[in-house]
Amino acid sequence: MPEEGAVTAGPDLSPEASTPPDSGAGPNDWRSLIAKPTFRWSALAVILIALVATWSLARKAVVIGVTSDAPLVLAAIGFALLYRLTGLINVAYAETVTMGAYLGMWVNTTFGLNFYVTLIPAALLTGLFSVLTYFAIFRPANQRKVGVVEMIIISFGLSVFLRYGIQFVFGFEFRYYDVANPGSIRVLGVGVGLFRLTALASALAISLALIWFIRKSRLGVQIRALAGDEKLAQASGINPLAVTVLIWFLAGMAGGAAGAFYGVNTSTRAWLGWDQFLFILLVVLIGGSRGIGGVFFAGLATGVVLSFLELMPKLNTTPVYAQVIVIALFMVILKVRGNRLLEAGKV
Amino acid sequence: MNLDWLTQYVVTVVILIITTVGLALLLHLQMGLAGIANFGIVGFYGVGMYAFGILLVHVPWPDGWGMVVPILLSMVFATMVAGLAGLLVGWLIADLDPDGILLGTLGFAAIVYGLSQTNRQWTGGAEGMGTTSFPYKIGTQKADTLLWLGITAVVVGLILYYVIRVHKSPYGRLLIAAGQNEALARSLGKPTFRTKMVMFATGSAVMGLLGAMYGVMLHYIRPVELGIGVTLAAMVGLVVGGQTKAWGAVVGVVLVGVLFELVFMVWLPFPSEWRRQSLPVVREMLYGATLILVLMTRPLGILGRMRRDKTVRRPANG
Repeated sequence: MPEEGAVTAGPDLSPEASTPPDSGAGPNDWRSLIAKPTFRWSALAVILIALVATWSLARKAVVIGVTSDAPLVLAAIGFALLYRLTGLINVAYAETVTMGAYLGMWVNTTFGLNFYVTLIPAALLTGLFSVLTYFAIFRPANQRKVGVVEMIIISFGLSVFLRYGIQFVFGFEFRYYDVANPGSIRVLGVGVGLFRLTALASALAISLALIWFIRKSRLGVQIRALAGDEKLAQASGINPLAVTVLIWFLAGMAGGAAGAFYGVNTSTRAWLGWDQFLFILLVVLIGGSRGIGGVFFAGLATGVVLSFLELMPKLNTTPVYAQVIVIALFMVILKVRGNRLLEAGKV
Repeated sequence: MNLDWLTQYVVTVVILIITTVGLALLLHLQMGLAGIANFGIVGFYGVGMYAFGILLVHVPWPDGWGMVVPILLSMVFATMVAGLAGLLVGWLIADLDPDGILLGTLGFAAIVYGLSQTNRQWTGGAEGMGTTSFPYKIGTQKADTLLWLGITAVVVGLILYYVIRVHKSPYGRLLIAAGQNEALARSLGKPTFRTKMVMFATGSAVMGLLGAMYGVMLHYIRPVELGIGVTLAAMVGLVVGGQTKAWGAVVGVVLVGVLFELVFMVWLPFPSEWRRQSLPVVREMLYGATLILVLMTRPLGILGRMRRDKTVRRPANG
C-alpha cells in the first residue's frame, strides 16, 4: 500500500486540468476521432452490411450466440449492480455464480424438483450467500478503510478460497442436474434448447425489472442516492446498511440464477464461475457505462461475436481462438474508450 | 554434512520458491511502487516459458554449438518476447483505473493460456512439449538440479539488487509519485504514462526470463504450469512481506513458501492418500485466506511502511 502523505502535498489536480507539453500521457487524438458520432454510425453501418452480406452465417451466429450466452447476461447484470452501485470490483462474484450452480443442483437432486422450481430457492440461497460474503469480508474491510486496489486483491483472495473450498466439499468430478431433456424448438431455422430460451427470457425479464426497480421504485431511488453520496443519503433518512444488503442480495440472486442456468446447460464444477469471470468483467466494463441496458446488449453481442468467429468456415476458429480474439478486441475497446467510472449510481 | 533431507522434490520446490521471489520482486515494482496491480504475472511468465521452448525445439541449431548457446539465445528471445508483450499490455493499461488494469492483465493471462493449448504443432497443445535437460552434467540428477538452483538464485539476487537500486534512484521516486498521485506528478511535467509503461515492459521481460529458466528446470512444459497459482503465490508473498518494501517480497515469499509448500505439503505427516488431491486444494485455500487476513489486519505486511527517509533526499538546511 502506498505510504500516506509521501507525495500528496498540493491540490489533487485532475489529468484534464494539467496538460504540460511533455506530460507523457497516452495519445488522445485518435480517441476523440473514434468518439465522434460519424465514426460510430459508420461502424454500425459496416456491421449491418456485414450481417446482411453473410446472412446465412449471421443468422446462426445470432441465434446460437444470443441463447447460449444468456446466463452471461444474467451474471453480468448482478456484477454490474455491485460495481455501479457500490464501486466494488468483486472477483469473488465468480464463486457466487458457481454457488448458484451447486445450490441449484443440490436442491434439484435432493428434493427432485423441476428445474424451473429449483431456480427460485437457488437464486434466494445464493442471494443470502452473497450477503454473507458482504458481512464476513467486505463490510469489515470497508470499515477498515481498505483501498480500492487492496479491496480487489481481497476479493481475489476470497475467490480463490471459495473456489477451492467448493472443490474440497463437492469434489473434483463434474456434477449434473437431474432433469429430463426439455426438447428444442427451431428459431430462424436453428434448433435451440428450451433451457437456453428460458435463460434468455429470464435475462430479459430481470433486466427490465431491475431497470424499473432502480429507476422508478422508492427503494431504487434510495439505492441510487446511496451510491451518489452516502452521507447525504444518510441525512435524508436512508438506512445505508439495509440498502447495501439489498444490493448484495439482488446481485447474488442474479448470479445464482445465472449459475443454475450454466449448470443445467453444461455441468456443475468448481471452476464454472471463474471460467466466465473474465467475460462478465469485460461485458460490465464495456457495456456498464450505458447502464443495465448496455450490459444486456454487450453480453448478447459477446455471444454473437463468439459464435460468429466459431462458425466462420474459412477461419476454422476453435472456441479457444474465438475467446482469445474477443478478449483482445474488448481490451482494445477498453483502451479506446477508457474505463473511468464517471457517474456512480447511474444504472 | 548430512543432506538426505534435501530430496530431489525439496530442491525442486526451493527453485519454485526462489523463482516466485523473483516474480514478487518485479510485482513489487509494478504494484508496490507504481500502483499497477498485475493479476497476469503468469501470462508474462508463460510467454517466456513457451517462447523459450518453441525457439529451442523448433530451430535447427548447428551441431557445433552444443547446448549452452541455443539455451542462452532462447532465453534472450524469451525475455524479448515477454518484454514486447509487456510493452503492449502496458500501453493498454497504464492509464486505466484498477478495474481496467485487472481486466487487461487477467485478459492477457487468459490469452496466453488459451494460445498455449492451441497451435499444437508449435506448443504440443494440452499435452505440452519437451524442451531440454540441464545444459551440463556435473553428477547425479540432484546435483544438476542444485546447480540450477544456484543459477536461479544468482539471477533473483541480481533482480533484488536492481530493485533496491531503483528504490534509491530518481527513477524509483518517479515510480512512487506516479503510483501515489499520478495527476500531481503529471502536473509537474513528469512523463508518468511512459514511465509506467516502460517499467511494466521491463518487469514483464524479466518475468519471461524467469519463466524460461523454470522451463529448463521442468524439462517439459504444459499449459497446466500456467495456472492462477503462479500469480497467487507471488501476490500472497508480496502482501505478507510488505508490498512497499523490496525485502518484503523476499521475506513474504520465503515465509509463505516454506510454510505452505514445504512444511504443509512435505514435512507434516499427513496420510499419503491426502497428498494427491486434498492437500493441494487446502493449500490454495490457505493462500486465499492469508491474502484476506493480511490485507484486513496488517495491510502493509510484516515489514510495514516504506522508509521514505532513505528514498527522499534530505533538505539542505535539515
